[in-house]
Amino acid sequence: MSTATLTPKSARNRGPKAGDYKVKDLALAELGRKEIEIAEKEMPGLMAIREKYAKDKPLAGVRVTGSLHMTIQTAVLIETFVDLGADVRWASCNIFSTQDQAAAAIAAAGIPVFAWKGESLEEYWDCTWKAIVNPEGKGPQLVIDDGGDVTLFLHKGYELEEGDGWVNTPSSSHEEKVIKELLKKIHKENPYIFHELVKEWKGVAEETTTGVHRLYRLQEQAKLLVPAFNVNDSVTKSKFDNLYGCRHSLVDGLNRALDVMISGKVAVVCGYGDVGKGSAQSLRGQGARVIITEIDPINALQAAMEGYEVTTVEDTLGTRT
Amino acid sequence: MITIEHLKKMKDQAVVANIGHFDNEIQVDKLNNLSGVKRVNIKPQLDKYVFPDGRELFLLAEGRLVNLGCATGHPSFVMSNSFSNQTLAALDLWKNRSVYKPAVYVLPKKLDEEVARLHLEKIGVKLTKLSKDQADYLGVPVEGPFKPEHYRY
Repeated sequence: MSTATLTPKSARNRGPKAGDYKVKDLALAELGRKEIEIAEKEMPGLMAIREKYAKDKPLAGVRVTGSLHMTIQTAVLIETFVDLGADVRWASCNIFSTQDQAAAAIAAAGIPVFAWKGESLEEYWDCTWKAIVNPEGKGPQLVIDDGGDVTLFLHKGYELEEGDGWVNTPSSSHEEKVIKELLKKIHKENPYIFHELVKEWKGVAEETTTGVHRLYRLQEQAKLLVPAFNVNDSVTKSKFDNLYGCRHSLVDGLNRALDVMISGKVAVVCGYGDVGKGSAQSLRGQGARVIITEIDPINALQAAMEGYEVTTVEDTLGTRT
Repeated sequence: MITIEHLKKMKDQAVVANIGHFDNEIQVDKLNNLSGVKRVNIKPQLDKYVFPDGRELFLLAEGRLVNLGCATGHPSFVMSNSFSNQTLAALDLWKNRSVYKPAVYVLPKKLDEEVARLHLEKIGVKLTKLSKDQADYLGVPVEGPFKPEHYRY
C-alpha cells in the first residue's frame, strides 16, 4: 500500500491550538501517538478510505463536530476526517470513556478536543457545547454522533428558540437538569444562536442503537431538522461492533475492574440483542453459567436454542445464596 | 432494567454492570440514596455497597458502560468496520447535501459489502468469486450486492 497521499507522521504534531482544547495531560500525547500508530495497522478499512480520498479532500474545509468516545480508535477516525480535509472538533460521548493519552495526542496534533476520563456531567455538557461551536461562533456542518447528544442539544436549543417550554419542566434526572440549565444560559446570552447554527448544519451520522431510536422518534414527530444516517444498522456495524466488540471488551472491563474469577460463576445477561449475544458469549467463553432475560419472544427463543437458560431477573434472585 | 428491588435481593459479592449506552438500565440513584447502605469507593469506576445485613455488592463504572469505563472499549479491528461506515456516511451526506431531506437514511448494501471487503485481507480471508453462470442462476450481479434488502445475516 502506498502512503504517498497520506499525511506524514511528522506533520501530525502541529502543536495544540492555544486555548481551543481541554484534556487531562498533554504530556500523554507521545504515548497516545504510539498507540494510534498501532491501531492504524489494525484499522484497514479506515486506512483504505484515507488512501482513496485523501488526495481529493472531499470534505475540504467542512466543519465536523464529533461526539464519540475519545479513544485511540476514535483518534484514527478523527485523523481520517482531517486527511479528508475536514475542520474537526471533538468531545467524548460519555464521562468515563475517554482515554486521556488519545485525547492528548489529538490535542497535540492541533485538533480541538474537549475530553478527559472522569468528567462531571456539568463538564461533559460544557465539553459538548465547546465541540459544537468554534471560537468564531460557527457550528458544525456535519455531526458525528454516538448516542445522539449533539443532535439532542441542537434540537432542544432550536425548539427553545421556537418557544418550547421543555427547559422549565421538572427533570427526571440530574443530567436532564444539567442540559436544561446550560440551554437556558446559552439562550440568555444569545437568543437566536441555535437558529444560526442549524442554518448551516447539513446532516448527522449516528453510531449507536440508542441514538438511532432518538432519530426515528424525531422523524415520526416531524421535528428532525437535518438528514440523518443510521450507521448503527449497517450490517458491518451492528452485527460486528455490537456483537464481537462486546464479546472482547465485556470481560476485559470486568477483569480490569475487579479481576474476580468468572469461570464457574452464574452470570445474568439482561437482553439478547446484538450486545446481549456478544456479552453472553464473552461470559460463556470464560466458563460462566449464563442465564438470559428477554422481553421479546424471538430473542428469547434464540437464546434458548443457543443453549442458555432463559428466565426473569426476579427468578434469578434469592435462589442461589 | 435492574431495579432497586433487584439490587436489594442480590447475593453477597454480586457484581453489577451495564454495557448499554446510557446509565438508565440500573437504578443507581436509588441505590445511592437507600438508607443504611454504605458506599465504599475502591478505585475509580469501582464501588462497593455494603447492606445493613453485611452483604456486599460491587457496582462497576457507576452503572455506565463498563467496557469503556473500566477497560478501553472495543478493539481497533472491529471499530474500523464501524468507523468506515461513519466516514462513508459523512462523505455521502456532504456530497448529497442538496438532495437529502430531513429523514433517516441507511447506507446502501453495496457500501456495507465494501466495508467488509476492506477487512478481509488483513485476516487472511480468501473470498470465492461467483461465475457468471452462478450469478445468473442466483439472480445477483457478479460483483454484488449479493443479498436482498430484507436479508438478515
